[in-house]
Amino acid sequence: MDTLVNVAHGFGVALLPINLLYCFIGVFIGTLVGVLPGIGPISAMSLLLPVTLSGTPESGIIMMAGIYYGSMYGGSTTSILVNIPGEAASVVTCIDGHQMAKQGRAGPALGISAFGSFIAGTFSLVALMLVAPRLAGIAIAFGPAEYFSLMVLGLVVLTFLTQGSMPKALLMACTGVVLGLIGLDSITAQPRLTFGRMELIDGIGLVPVVMGLFGVAEVLLNIEQAIKRDIINARITQLLPTKADWQASAGPVARGTVLGFLLGILPGGGAVVASFASYALEKRLSKTPERFGHGAIEGVAGPESANNAAAGGAFIPLMTLGIPPNVVMALLLGAFVIHGLQPGPLLITQNPGLFWGIVASMYIGNVMLLILNLPMIGMWVQLLKLPYNILFPLIILFTIIGVYCSSNNVFDVYVMIAFGIIGYFMRKLGYEPAPLVLAFVLGPMLENNLRKSLILSQGDLWTFVQRPISAACLVLALVLLVAPLLPALRKKRKLVALDEGA
Amino acid sequence: MNDKTNVKLRLNNSELWGGLIGLALGGFVIWQGVKLKLGTINDPGSGYVLFYTGILMCVFAVSIIISAITEGGPTLASRWDNVSWGKPLLVIACLTAFSFALEPLGFLLSSIPLMLLLLRLIDPVRWTLAIPVAVLVPLGMWWVLERVLLIQLPSGLFGMG
Repeated sequence: MDTLVNVAHGFGVALLPINLLYCFIGVFIGTLVGVLPGIGPISAMSLLLPVTLSGTPESGIIMMAGIYYGSMYGGSTTSILVNIPGEAASVVTCIDGHQMAKQGRAGPALGISAFGSFIAGTFSLVALMLVAPRLAGIAIAFGPAEYFSLMVLGLVVLTFLTQGSMPKALLMACTGVVLGLIGLDSITAQPRLTFGRMELIDGIGLVPVVMGLFGVAEVLLNIEQAIKRDIINARITQLLPTKADWQASAGPVARGTVLGFLLGILPGGGAVVASFASYALEKRLSKTPERFGHGAIEGVAGPESANNAAAGGAFIPLMTLGIPPNVVMALLLGAFVIHGLQPGPLLITQNPGLFWGIVASMYIGNVMLLILNLPMIGMWVQLLKLPYNILFPLIILFTIIGVYCSSNNVFDVYVMIAFGIIGYFMRKLGYEPAPLVLAFVLGPMLENNLRKSLILSQGDLWTFVQRPISAACLVLALVLLVAPLLPALRKKRKLVALDEGA
Repeated sequence: MNDKTNVKLRLNNSELWGGLIGLALGGFVIWQGVKLKLGTINDPGSGYVLFYTGILMCVFAVSIIISAITEGGPTLASRWDNVSWGKPLLVIACLTAFSFALEPLGFLLSSIPLMLLLLRLIDPVRWTLAIPVAVLVPLGMWWVLERVLLIQLPSGLFGMG
């Protein structure tokens, strides 16, 4: 009953005209960046982070969330029609989606992807509503030791799932922690790694780091190779899947939804790994696995549902524990902090309007996305024809403006350009930026909780092992750290490794 | 003879250089941690976490170096095989020049040439399209930010933009 009252309260907030407008802007921009290859939700969210300052916290966060789940919808359009993933979570949709389009079945592929996404998105929101308040109740009992261990686990899971060698990912995570510690020490107020520069006293901003590593570096990587676009030019008709399509897709949608939601909750997990896992699962369960890769609708329905369910699930650790499970959620945490809010176990009780408003807006956003993605498909196809040599200077200009507006400081533009160049060379040498960014956000919290737990326990390191949740997290992290040393597990890790940055 | 060639090849690889840079960074972080004072385990100081993170960085970097030497890896040059490496280099040069010009020249006078260079130098867009895009987009952005959102952009020595 309480939940229903809260949902009604949430709709009261979400249906305010200004919030509806922000929700629409968010899902529209999300679809746009999902459709456009070379710019993903991370770049778009960091670009628009300063814009959230102008409105209420509800409006800003509703818009940012809309960009995230909107990009999951939009990404499939590019994968199906152009065979280039619009964003990383749609990589796997290219395999069967584009084959379906080549066989003249672009409509059903786009249709099932939109309906699957809608069903998964709705399920994950219902689950979010039911799980989040209960988890928040448990999380109130968490002390600094639990928080420290959870963050360690989150970072280890992300490095485990990152493409390439694990030592490289761990090195990136440590670098991120160090970068996050630049500025005044929160306990002693001593400046650290500032080299006498006043601009560094408050630390490096999240926006220039993310825009540099993901926005500028992505452009540099894209322009060095000619992107081959194989756009399906035929008129797209019959977007509604047939009865046979539904029969084939019902199981994959259901399994993808549950799997995606569970993987989304895991710290370090997210939409990308969910889509790959769902594809692998469907192929394994199929009686005719040889159809996969040649236009099997199950290969579109499962992953597209999984990535949307994961996008919903990822809100749980952020909203209930205050720990962002991936880079996108780290940016959302940035939006909360900008408004002076701290996501965590008390958020739901202290700011019910905000929490339930965001959840309700996600329902509305999902309906808006279904409308945006099906009848307006022709517009998105036209947009795909925009050549990259015109698009990339615009992306660079928008990143420069976005970074400048986030702080009104030219120094941040320099930081972004420097991180863009560093990010380009990092990616060329096989160092993924995702662990660095997550560690950059978690670094100060990690340090704070470690120091607090050491002070509280009077230097007794057993405090991390004596507390069951903390011990469980550390054991799991240790298992994941040791796993790549075992040949069988190393092979499995390579199968699920993801490229979060794409 | 063959073994010697292999060893030489294994030492000349990008993985090794990546590991060495990581090791240098780790060493620097340890040094900074010590400089900031470690404190005690009962009362960790400002350099405590930095120091131990630096140690972890060194451990991971050494692991990368060992794997580079024993297993080998691609050379630095091979990372840029079959790609137009000049294009990112040009964009980096343009962005560096832009970062030096932004404050003295202001937003408009620095971003219009930047856009024109990016549109014409990389995959040349025809002049009739490049010029309007390079002028109108920064001008439009400037108008929205300065006049609508009231966000002040760098105006430079000439007070433009």
